[in-house]
Amino acid sequence: MQSTRRRMIQSLASSGLLLPALLSEMLNGAPVADVGDPLAPRRPHFPAKVKRVIFLFMTGAVSQVDTFDPKPYLSKHHNQSNGKRRFYKGSDWKFRPYGKSGIEVSDLFPHVGGVIDDICMIRSMQNINGDHFGATIGIHTGSGTFNRPSIGSWVSYGLGTENRNLPSFMVISPGLPYAGGQVWGSDFLPVLHQGTRIIPGKEPIANMSRRSFSPQQQQTELDLLSFFNRQHLKGREQDSNLVGRIKSFETAFGMQMAAPEAFDLSGESAETHALYGLKPGSTEGFGWQCLVARRLAERGVRFIELIDGDTNIDSNWDAHAKMATYNKLSRNVDQPIAALIKDLKRRGMLDETLVVWTTEFGRGVFTPAPGAEGRGHHSRNYCSWLAGGGIRGGMVYGASDELGNEVAEDAVSVHDFQATILQQLGIDHERLTYRHAGRDYRLTDVHGRVVKEILK
Amino acid sequence: MESVCNGESTSCGETMKRLFLCLLLTGPAYADEAADHFESKVRPVLVANCYACHTKARKGGLRLDSREAILKGGKSGPAIEVGNPKDSLLIQAVSRTHQRLKMPPQKRLAPREVTALSQWIQQGAVWVESPSEFFQRQVQPVLKKNCISCHGAQPKGGLRLDSRQAVLQGGKSGAAVIPGDPDKSLLIKAIRYQHEKIKMPPKKSLSKSQVATLVRWVREGVSWDMAASPELAGVELDAKLRDFWSFQPVVSPRVPRVAESAWNRNPVDAFLFSQLQQAGLKPGKQASKRVLLRRATYDLIGLPPSRQQVRDFLADDSPQAFEKVIDGLLASRHYGERWGRHWLDVVRYADTSGDAADYPVPEAYKYRNYVIDAFNQDKPYDQFVKEQLAGDLLPARDDDQRWEQLIATGYIAVSRRIGVGPLNLRHITIENTIDNLGRTFLGLTIGCARCHDHKFDPIPTADYYALYGIFDSTVYPHPGSEKQPRRRHFVYRIGQQKADEMLRPFQAELDLWNARERKKFREFQSFQNMKVTTPGRSREIVWKELQVLREQRAEVTRKFPAMEIAYAVQEGEPHDVKIQVAGDPKTPGPQVRRGFLAILGGEKVAAEVTGSGRRQLADWIADPRNPLTARVAVNRIWQHHFGKGLVETASDFGVRGTPPSHPQLLDYLASYFVQEGWSIKKMHRLIMLSRAYQLASHNIEQNLAVDPDNQRLWRANRRRLDAEQLRDTILSLSGTLDLTPGQRHPFPHRRTFFYRQHEPFAANYPSQRRSVYLMQQRIQKNPYLDLFDGPDGNVPFATRKATTTTLQALYLMNSRFVHEQSRLISQRLLSQPIDQKGRVKWAYETIFGRPAQPAEVERAVAFLEQSTIQLAATGSDGKKRLEQAWAGYVRGMISSNEFMFID
Repeated sequence: MQSTRRRMIQSLASSGLLLPALLSEMLNGAPVADVGDPLAPRRPHFPAKVKRVIFLFMTGAVSQVDTFDPKPYLSKHHNQSNGKRRFYKGSDWKFRPYGKSGIEVSDLFPHVGGVIDDICMIRSMQNINGDHFGATIGIHTGSGTFNRPSIGSWVSYGLGTENRNLPSFMVISPGLPYAGGQVWGSDFLPVLHQGTRIIPGKEPIANMSRRSFSPQQQQTELDLLSFFNRQHLKGREQDSNLVGRIKSFETAFGMQMAAPEAFDLSGESAETHALYGLKPGSTEGFGWQCLVARRLAERGVRFIELIDGDTNIDSNWDAHAKMATYNKLSRNVDQPIAALIKDLKRRGMLDETLVVWTTEFGRGVFTPAPGAEGRGHHSRNYCSWLAGGGIRGGMVYGASDELGNEVAEDAVSVHDFQATILQQLGIDHERLTYRHAGRDYRLTDVHGRVVKEILK
Repeated sequence: MESVCNGESTSCGETMKRLFLCLLLTGPAYADEAADHFESKVRPVLVANCYACHTKARKGGLRLDSREAILKGGKSGPAIEVGNPKDSLLIQAVSRTHQRLKMPPQKRLAPREVTALSQWIQQGAVWVESPSEFFQRQVQPVLKKNCISCHGAQPKGGLRLDSRQAVLQGGKSGAAVIPGDPDKSLLIKAIRYQHEKIKMPPKKSLSKSQVATLVRWVREGVSWDMAASPELAGVELDAKLRDFWSFQPVVSPRVPRVAESAWNRNPVDAFLFSQLQQAGLKPGKQASKRVLLRRATYDLIGLPPSRQQVRDFLADDSPQAFEKVIDGLLASRHYGERWGRHWLDVVRYADTSGDAADYPVPEAYKYRNYVIDAFNQDKPYDQFVKEQLAGDLLPARDDDQRWEQLIATGYIAVSRRIGVGPLNLRHITIENTIDNLGRTFLGLTIGCARCHDHKFDPIPTADYYALYGIFDSTVYPHPGSEKQPRRRHFVYRIGQQKADEMLRPFQAELDLWNARERKKFREFQSFQNMKVTTPGRSREIVWKELQVLREQRAEVTRKFPAMEIAYAVQEGEPHDVKIQVAGDPKTPGPQVRRGFLAILGGEKVAAEVTGSGRRQLADWIADPRNPLTARVAVNRIWQHHFGKGLVETASDFGVRGTPPSHPQLLDYLASYFVQEGWSIKKMHRLIMLSRAYQLASHNIEQNLAVDPDNQRLWRANRRRLDAEQLRDTILSLSGTLDLTPGQRHPFPHRRTFFYRQHEPFAANYPSQRRSVYLMQQRIQKNPYLDLFDGPDGNVPFATRKATTTTLQALYLMNSRFVHEQSRLISQRLLSQPIDQKGRVKWAYETIFGRPAQPAEVERAVAFLEQSTIQLAATGSDGKKRLEQAWAGYVRGMISSNEFMFID
């Protein structure tokens, strides 16, 4: 593979199409950066704690009181009326303390419990909207009504990428979440900052596989293309758009080489597969998503988002009717998430990666009738957590009241959450702006406070 | 010139003399240049950064709103020393080189802004009096002294002269003035004592110079000091913004005389050339005929010229050859498909509503087709505006016109819905309407004023709610949503009553099924609320039953008779609204009368008006005296011909937008537009027949140093094909483009929608038609259009970005579409009865629109040979091999820059 790439580069070089500086960089495999390249790596506002983010998004709204926020009071008063024709609903799962920190986690997430000392648990999250659509774009874009650029797009815009052979913002999402592709949309930011959706299967990135008959034939075709472009460039040498587009084919060729390798898990050991709970050869489940995420992280992708479900309430966390669906859902994600943290850690990558786990909101602690098996929407308090570079592990931040129904202390808004993520990347959320329609927009709009208390 | 010579202050000294001499030598072009520089580069900087403190507030004793005041300076001395920017306090303060004065205190000016100010001082600090300054300094004193005592609060003859609106309205004898035409204006006749009866002031005529002042005032459009108008007393407009360029009346400027008059094809060139000349830039050569034809054809119809069209144009040596081409293209049905698309970008058209379940709107396409037809018919732009805002309220000669105008209000209906119950989020839908109408028609971001007064532009919150009342008095159709799945308030052509009568028996049957469906749905939902222990009942079972029931119900909907329905708005109960404090409908503030923006006249919906006020709003916007409407429209047309508007921020003519690069040209175009009956096609002709449009795109080394971004248009801008041009061209080359107009998309029956956010509407309807007819969803984007910076039904696009990305390159290298199409093109090519070299030539002429050079033919032959050998090695058979080799060749061509860019 590498030799084909070299051959192509050399053929471009001999045709005089590549600039000398660029050429040496490409031959050395170093990142290609040049002035005016919107994806070139950029210096952050201040020294960064992490180089990249892995953003784990659980779609459908995960119940806080059944996962990471134990409420014995609820269990004690299970099915009793609160006097206003509403009934307490206790959790179906037991909580137990984990790690040195002794933070309690329910039996839905024993593996995550196993790495709890690397995690900072936030039990006082608040979203700006109580519907899936608004809250999903809220946690991603800071706006709960009309869409804005997604956090991954902002990060790509702010920092560029370290590997031009892969997109800077990649979203592994087998299904479409609420609000669809707007979740990773770049909105008014240039479209190259938009998330590239990865769908597990034969061609994870659209059009990344060669369709010409043989590598040799493709090479011949690309040579022809460079002939056309060279002819055309005569007398138009100063047009950087033309040169930029010629380069885009070189990068595309690089991506065609690099991307399949990134998704090829055959080189991963049986032990690693087992760690993620992934059957060799399978691309199913969150285990595949997590292992691929680690590989993309290794290859310099700036923002990697994993989404675990779609809008179907039987395959996401929107358990209106039956909390029991959580058994299957947590089995899909629990072990892979813990594996990802362990794997990053043993490779020395956890310190330079921020792992974010979140959902759009939490679930209600009351039911309208005793014995109801599901829970409704609840955006006033829920749980999210962070792990990795610069984060204080084994810590709980914020608290809900004894029912798990309101924030009792240290509320964290989606804007605070986003500001904190940007902070770890070395970005001042108030200074990362983009001029659009007459004003400077930012991810956190006019809000946001960095939650310094959870940072090392 | 006047203003230059008026600057007779002593400190001007030598510089002024030199400047004056300079003016005498070079003629008016220089004056225009200096004025342009002031208007476009200096005044906006002063207004945006200095006026808050240095006008009436006089911080530090300094005013910066007239040349005299600046020369006089404040406590620290004169603000500038003409000709000597380095020693000017103003420059020292803004460049932060002064020890004490650092201005503006909160932020630094951009380097280019400082340069603009320095240059201005260096070149004599030319000040152009704005119309509102002229009014304040010269007109108002005359009126005050001689007229207001009788024509103020107790107006004689019914005439008031204390607001612009009153002057225009006139008194018993009719309008007092006709802006732009002093000779026909009653007021002027009266003060000249030329009118038979009316001679004013009655006792003593005005002095010659006073008459001259008022004549000039009328000729230049009857400007007013907006902030001082008593009618605006209730609204506090930021005084500093009254002078902002875009709020001044459009006045047709004098066409500059240019030394090389031979260069000018038409007035457009004169304006551009005077700037080029001044900057020492040499305009490039005329583009070749091939380049010109390709450019014009893509510009007007979005498709490349055919081989025959190229041949015809090359063979036509007459001076009118290009004019004929333009007329032919403007007459083509495909013209509307191209220019309608530009409009649909701005109004963020989509075929779905955008709520959490993205309900489809099967009737939306009628508005899309209306837009396309309007462009094809060259519907006068003012009429086009009025129909979209109030088509249902306009007179119509017959039922077809009535229906067409009704469909036009689809503009309002396609406003974005959000959430699971958009009916409860009416204020968000209306915001989307107001925000869009501000940007689209006026180039103003009115939406900003929903929660607070606009931070930059003179748009108070009260203005927002004056408009809000109009749309709150309007009935929007409801396309359905998770919480309210049934559609409401769509408009039937035969009228609601007749439709109800006709549908009653069908509806009665459906109602029964609706009741059953809702009952079953509630049963399904009940599993969320209680523990159900009935044996044989589970959530899954009930869901299945619900699906069966819906299928049976759908049978009933199929019996409904076909009806003509529009996604359009209607009049509701007219009412004013209260301000929603901080944009929150739950915290009402004071009530505001429905009306228009204060800065644009502030008219109110009159007490005797019985409707919502949409009709009046349409008139205010489409009024030829509205300073923004025509400017914004012509700028959009210009933008699509040159790749960039004269105002680059085509939907923002406010303080934060970019000032016009050629203010006088913009005003010339705007006045021409109105004069010529708001004809868009005439605008195309004017622009395209200019030499400027026909320039080659080649670089000129010497010009690059002075104007690297081609701001002054010394060459044509090279542009990338957009998403639609690319797809439509490829399809047309393969002969598979379906050129028939698009109709309704194959959505399911409108009475069968039960989408929820959990089961949102999502579909992809493949089509071979032109891309403007592809179904566009709001939540789910079309991946192809998205990849090539295509339209987004959520965000209004004033300009398309033209990004170059790796994924685009991968699309051209590896996508099924490109491979399939290049195969079809190669088949077409192989079916020509010509030899291999002939085919290469055919390919060049068809795909690149030019003949192949011998070296290129050779290269092609070599490629085909090598490919055939390589393909043989993969085992493909002879005939197929040739086709595959050619397909690879074609793919190379359509991936190339020559194909992708328009020179």
